[in-house]
Amino acid sequence: MLYYLTKRLGLSALVIGLVVLVLFSLLYFIPGDPATIALGPRATEEAIARYAEKMHLDEPVWRQFLIYIGNALTGDLGLDVFSDRPVTAIILERIGFTLSLVGVGMGWAVLLGIPLGCLAAVRPNSWLDRVTGILSVGTIAVPSFLVSIWALLIFAVHLRWLPAIGAGEPGQVGDQLIHLILPAFAIGLSWVGYLARMVRASMLEVMGENYIRSARAFGLRPRRVIFGYALRVAILPTITLIGMGFGGMISSTVFAEIIFARPGLGKLIFDAVMARNFPIVQGAVLVATGLYVLVVLFSDTLIAWFDPRVRESL
Amino acid sequence: MPQDAAHAPETLLDVRNLSVDFRTPRGRVKALRDVSFPIRRNRIVGIVGESGSGKSTVLWALLGLLAKNADVMGGEVRFGDRDLLHASEAQLRATRGEEISVVFQDPMTSQIPVLTYGRQMLDILYRRPNVSATEKRHMAVEMLRKVGIPDPDRRIDQYPHHFSGGMRQRAGIAMALLTGPQLLLADEPTTALDVTMEAQIIHLLQDLQKELDATIVVVSHNLGLIAELCDDVVVMYAGEVIEAGDVREIFHNAQHPYTRALLECDPARINDVSRKLPVIPGDIPDLSKALSGCIYAPRCQRVLPVCRETLPPDVARGEMSLARCHLLDGPHRDSSWPPPLDVMTVGQGEGTAAKPARAQRDAPLLDISDLSVQFEVVGPIQARLKGLTQRHVDAVLDVSLSVAPGETVGLVGESGSGKTTLGRCVLNLLPSQAGHVRFEGEDIRNMPEGRFKPLRRDMAMMFQDPVGSLSPRKSVRALITEPFQIHGIAGVDLDAEAERLAEMVRLPKHFLSRYPHELSGGQARRVGVARALALNPKLIIADEPTAGLDVSVQGEILNLMADLQAEHGLGYLIITHNLPVVRHIADRLAIMYLGRIVEEGPTDEVFARPVHPYTRALVEGVPQPDPDRRRVHVSISGEVPSLLNRPKGCDFAGRCPVAQDRCRTEKPPHLTMTDGRRHACHFPLG
Amino acid sequence: MSENRSESETGILAVDVSGLSDHVTDAETRESAARERREKLRMFLTNWQGLTGLILVAVFFASAIFAPWLAPYDPNALDVPARLSGPTLDHLAGTDQLGRDTLSRILFGGRVALKIAAIGVSVALTVGLILGMIAGFGPRWLDSLLLLVFDTVRSFPTIVLALATVALTGPSLAVVLAIVIITSIPQYARVARTATLTLRNTDFILAERSLGASMTRTLLHHVMPNVVGPLLILAAMDVPVVVTVEAGLSFLGLGVTPPTASWGTILNEGYLVIRDAPWMVIAGGIPLILTTLGFTFLGEALRDIFDPRMGKGR
Repeated sequence: MLYYLTKRLGLSALVIGLVVLVLFSLLYFIPGDPATIALGPRATEEAIARYAEKMHLDEPVWRQFLIYIGNALTGDLGLDVFSDRPVTAIILERIGFTLSLVGVGMGWAVLLGIPLGCLAAVRPNSWLDRVTGILSVGTIAVPSFLVSIWALLIFAVHLRWLPAIGAGEPGQVGDQLIHLILPAFAIGLSWVGYLARMVRASMLEVMGENYIRSARAFGLRPRRVIFGYALRVAILPTITLIGMGFGGMISSTVFAEIIFARPGLGKLIFDAVMARNFPIVQGAVLVATGLYVLVVLFSDTLIAWFDPRVRESL
Repeated sequence: MPQDAAHAPETLLDVRNLSVDFRTPRGRVKALRDVSFPIRRNRIVGIVGESGSGKSTVLWALLGLLAKNADVMGGEVRFGDRDLLHASEAQLRATRGEEISVVFQDPMTSQIPVLTYGRQMLDILYRRPNVSATEKRHMAVEMLRKVGIPDPDRRIDQYPHHFSGGMRQRAGIAMALLTGPQLLLADEPTTALDVTMEAQIIHLLQDLQKELDATIVVVSHNLGLIAELCDDVVVMYAGEVIEAGDVREIFHNAQHPYTRALLECDPARINDVSRKLPVIPGDIPDLSKALSGCIYAPRCQRVLPVCRETLPPDVARGEMSLARCHLLDGPHRDSSWPPPLDVMTVGQGEGTAAKPARAQRDAPLLDISDLSVQFEVVGPIQARLKGLTQRHVDAVLDVSLSVAPGETVGLVGESGSGKTTLGRCVLNLLPSQAGHVRFEGEDIRNMPEGRFKPLRRDMAMMFQDPVGSLSPRKSVRALITEPFQIHGIAGVDLDAEAERLAEMVRLPKHFLSRYPHELSGGQARRVGVARALALNPKLIIADEPTAGLDVSVQGEILNLMADLQAEHGLGYLIITHNLPVVRHIADRLAIMYLGRIVEEGPTDEVFARPVHPYTRALVEGVPQPDPDRRRVHVSISGEVPSLLNRPKGCDFAGRCPVAQDRCRTEKPPHLTMTDGRRHACHFPLG
Repeated sequence: MSENRSESETGILAVDVSGLSDHVTDAETRESAARERREKLRMFLTNWQGLTGLILVAVFFASAIFAPWLAPYDPNALDVPARLSGPTLDHLAGTDQLGRDTLSRILFGGRVALKIAAIGVSVALTVGLILGMIAGFGPRWLDSLLLLVFDTVRSFPTIVLALATVALTGPSLAVVLAIVIITSIPQYARVARTATLTLRNTDFILAERSLGASMTRTLLHHVMPNVVGPLLILAAMDVPVVVTVEAGLSFLGLGVTPPTASWGTILNEGYLVIRDAPWMVIAGGIPLILTTLGFTFLGEALRDIFDPRMGKGR
């Protein structure tokens, strides 16, 4: 287990390193002066000079990269071009909105999708299975940003049941929760269908395995066979899927935050792109990607915990 | 079914007129038709049949665990006062595991990988609310001890993948017996195991049956296992019981032509070593089509016109004995059937081909000397992290072996013995670390592919899995002409070549347009032979040439190979674990254990007087298809050690019944005896 | 069966081995092959999902290709007096704030979607197939290296990577295309790699090597035909993703540039007037959903028929 974790951790660190390298080199693939590109055409001469010094632009590229990595490791992601505030502080202000949205969005999808898939697999071709099937294809087919727009149109503009924009008054948990409903619904919806299908398919596959037949031949209760045996194995690919699909979740979050004007990481990146505020883009993208890598690492660990064969593998 | 037997008091379970259909895209397959037989208390009943006979379907029908596309069309399964075929799911569940339990065919896939044995066994005991968890665990540990798992206190907390195949099957038996069932069903319990392990499991089942007074049903295709283990035998063919009876009646006085033919085809029953093996012509019938008359008529040697029209009567002999054949009763009764046992009733192909004159032994075609192959088990980084010093294992160690033109050498060993690795290494499919491999005098070991390629025309390989070794999206025609394209042989009419090769391996021409998945095992094997022979090679390495083939058809392939050898003077290196088969086809045998050859010599001498204790164990380990020749005890115990822990002395010392101190400290060298046989044993058997 | 056996074989002992196992005639072979094809076709046609998918996909292709003839108006023709008109007989899907006909713009927007889908998916599939086969068949170090690269690329949530790139280059269709291709390659490559890896140790690949087949021949003739099937199914499932990414980026104003009609830009313009002209976000979303639905249905039907093990059922 320890060896497995060490290896996964090392790989994740390597991937993050490469991500930084990509982000960093993006600047140099574009022809022109890096400072001007990074700061955009609106930046003043003064700002450009300051930026050049701050980023050690006079140093060789590989040194600049090492300096960036070194700074990033100490939590320093550079300065905001306009306000001169540390990028790290700005990201920390915003990340809570994103994490709560992702948590609630993924949470309701998991709580609904996995049981639905399970029930559908236990009784294939029952009405519940059919309804789940139609529902899941339907929800998968609608892109999440369209769900956001339409949900906004129906529940906020047309019915006026829920607030359309913002994240709620700071400090008022109730208000913040109400503001969370629509975006969380929007980003979680397609996941309900996705998870239900995935769980159903892998449950059906596992239900055909010899060891399930063994469990039934020993007269175990159906409940035990389904939840203690089949789900125990079928959940593994689902965990991988949730981990890998988390990237898509972040993409959905970006849209939801923009559409519902929610001041999270996605909105931060978008606004920074519009303002060509590259230090913010760089830092926030790094954090978003790092978040994803961490989630994948977590899901791998979870699988190792569930499956002794993985735990003891290389 | 004789009525008196069905109602005899000792009948524990009675199958009556069981019929099962499978719904398939090709239509309804009548998989079981009117199957009836009793299972008598305290006896071991064997259900024997080839693939497609429906023997496993019977077993699953007893438990009510048939596949979802199965329909029970009629019949009943009496168990006590219940009919299991029509019992409710709750009743069935109460029966399963408690009263009737199962040992499964493949212990690798039938035990859930993510739960410990302790957890799995506790689950089986869930119906005992009055027994505490500690007591249940104690029961489980004791049962594991009883089936011969060492250190059960510790091993009960391990997962299935920590157990070797043999140990897993022992654990499977322990799980099945945990609740003390009245009836134990065993589905091909030794098929996934090696010979020495198979012998151990057979004896374990026998001992447990005596000790627990259990009734056991064993489903198997292995006649040796049935003869050795069972008291009563039910013979099935294409979904029908065609004969049933006491084990001695079946093996010594079979009444049905199919039973008779099946027994004659078993190479282990043929005492005279002959180069030609008997074969039952034809395939099992397509059960999705309308059936009439005797199901065996299309393949029967004694078929009469009436057989094709009228279902033969069940002719009873004794308490549970019957045979379903027109020859035995009624107007077509033939008093000369069955003929005495020494008269063969099935053919052996056209005339016995003469053995080709053997080339001089001093000019071998293939000459392997001191070959060693190592596998890397852990990478350099991981080895350092885990503090391992040994990164490699010797899969093949100091092997010397030669094959002369026109000679057949059998390379025999259990799984993990390195025999397949050796074969692949000869063909340069794997790199080797030391020694020499000479082909017609030229050292070809680790030769670069560019230089080796022309040699591939002279050496060909047949792989273990007949269908799996054919590229799935190529037609048979493309497959057997591919060697010409690979070697850029110009000026050949590919179509003509395809037809020539098809004819050579006796594959009808219209098969040329088929794809591998449309072929039976025997047909695919022929395609493999055709591919191997396309470029007129001199040496063929055949890895388990009869794997996956039923007894009644494996002779076809072996006879074909023998004919081709006689015709072309081929040298064969046959890699196999199947001793009865290799005994009939090999001139010389080499026995491998843990990567080393422990004994080598002429086949008949090795069988008659094994020198190495392991060879003796192997020879004795084959269950004899004769109930009068049952073994009293198993000659070797234990398991093949892991390559990672190769013993310091003789590799076999840990399991050897005659091992002495020297064997545990000093590796025996290869010695040549005065008669030319070689062995690696400090204390060769006299 | 029995009528194929000649009478001469009824005698005992003299049985010719050469006629074994071939009571199936040539005609029967052909018949069985034809029956299998008919069976697959029947499975497809009776699969309502497959049929719906096929129709939707056909409509998508036809409407995009024939847009200039089908569209009632020039998609860029301004008609300011008729601006923000609701659905009427003149303008079936209403008009935008510049009075352009939404239906015509949707039809022309389909061309952008088709272009992105066709080029993006085919390039990603080809590159992914090649890289995957190399990773699966080549030496271990190359496999590890490629896996690391795939993992890194996959760690970027698509939209986030797109935002970072557009921040530097400015919006354009080419950038969208590049992003779509780069982020799609890893999934094709992974599927191809896994399939190749499984094939690599099969007996038939070893058999080819033992006959002397070169690496190129083995890959092209024996590996690729067995790998490409699952990839094509994946491609059908990937089209919706690609189309959605384009629509999403255009919705954010980071994809196609303004005068060009795209489903995303229609949604973008509609979002700005969501309170006054809700039909625009509805009309802009419907073709997106239908296309997604069509390709998803088609992909699943194909998978169920040709690879029943991948996703059993439905």
